Amino acid sequence: MHDHQPVNLRRCLLLGMQAITPFLPGIIPFGLIAGLTPITLGYSWIDASLGSLFMFAGASQLAAYQLLGQESSIWVILVTVMAINLRYVLYSASMAPYLSAAPRATRLLASYGLTDQIYAVCQRDYPLHTWQLSERIAYYAGGTILLWILWQACTLTGALMGQIVPIYWSLDFMIPLTFLALALGTLKSGAHRVAAVVGTTVSWLALDAPMNLGLIGGGIAGIISGILVKRFHS
Amino acid sequence: MNETFFLTIISAAFVTLILKGSFIEGSKYIQLPQWFREALEFAPPAVLCALVVPGIFKGEIGLIKEFGMVAIDPRWIAAVVAISLFLKYKRTIDTLALGMVVLHASYWGQLATQ
Repeated sequence: MHDHQPVNLRRCLLLGMQAITPFLPGIIPFGLIAGLTPITLGYSWIDASLGSLFMFAGASQLAAYQLLGQESSIWVILVTVMAINLRYVLYSASMAPYLSAAPRATRLLASYGLTDQIYAVCQRDYPLHTWQLSERIAYYAGGTILLWILWQACTLTGALMGQIVPIYWSLDFMIPLTFLALALGTLKSGAHRVAAVVGTTVSWLALDAPMNLGLIGGGIAGIISGILVKRFHS
Repeated sequence: MNETFFLTIISAAFVTLILKGSFIEGSKYIQLPQWFREALEFAPPAVLCALVVPGIFKGEIGLIKEFGMVAIDPRWIAAVVAISLFLKYKRTIDTLALGMVVLHASYWGQLATQ
């Protein structure tokens, strides 16, 4: 990069923060739910914060807590978390060309901080600039740190709110409602709708299967039928 | 905090980190296999729907634990209303809020008319 301007890390950091800002209002309610619902399932505010701190992956945190509340086997929980977070492999693959030359500790931190939002802004902005590695990392860090602080603060706030909300408010029902809205938002083709219907049906038929295994069955059956329908149509 | 809880969250965090770091950590850019890309496409609707089911049909919500059962599980009514609302308006937060309102309305309404 010969005609590159002098490296300006502070500017890239600020650009990253600026780029992530439009996404921030949208994550507030989910952060609150992620902190609040574990409390209604009987966990402490520390337990509720641990999910956000260690996993830092919203939907899968909710799934883990819901399944823990239903006394599922740890394997069912892990497979579910994996299925929900499978999309990160795709993000990771798209980010690798931009970040994989970074030192190990930086790569590890970047991996931990990977989210739907930072993926979206980096995919949009990295190709537009002739940034050096350190500038790309500064941009990534700016966006991620802002998002991380807000997410942790919202989880903690939600958890503390949860301690004063009575059980009969039934706020734990917000977990299935959240999944419902997220699921309906993914139905962009006939094949997706088939995957959803099959996933729902199998999960319902196997509702009494031990350790919540019906969930895994539903997920796999749904994925396979979606693929089959798509192949049949093309 | 018990051991199972801690172990589950730590393992879930580890699994998540492996997925997030899969390619960033690996220095070479590898092409993802076709079946994986396809599975990835249909995992969200299939898995999220499968997750909704036990949340609506299994266990009991706080309302029922505190004040007793009613004829129709208010979760079913709330779910049906939430689905229709979301499909019509595509607004996530509004769907969540109205879903909770319907949950309570349908519970207290049934309790009052019992």
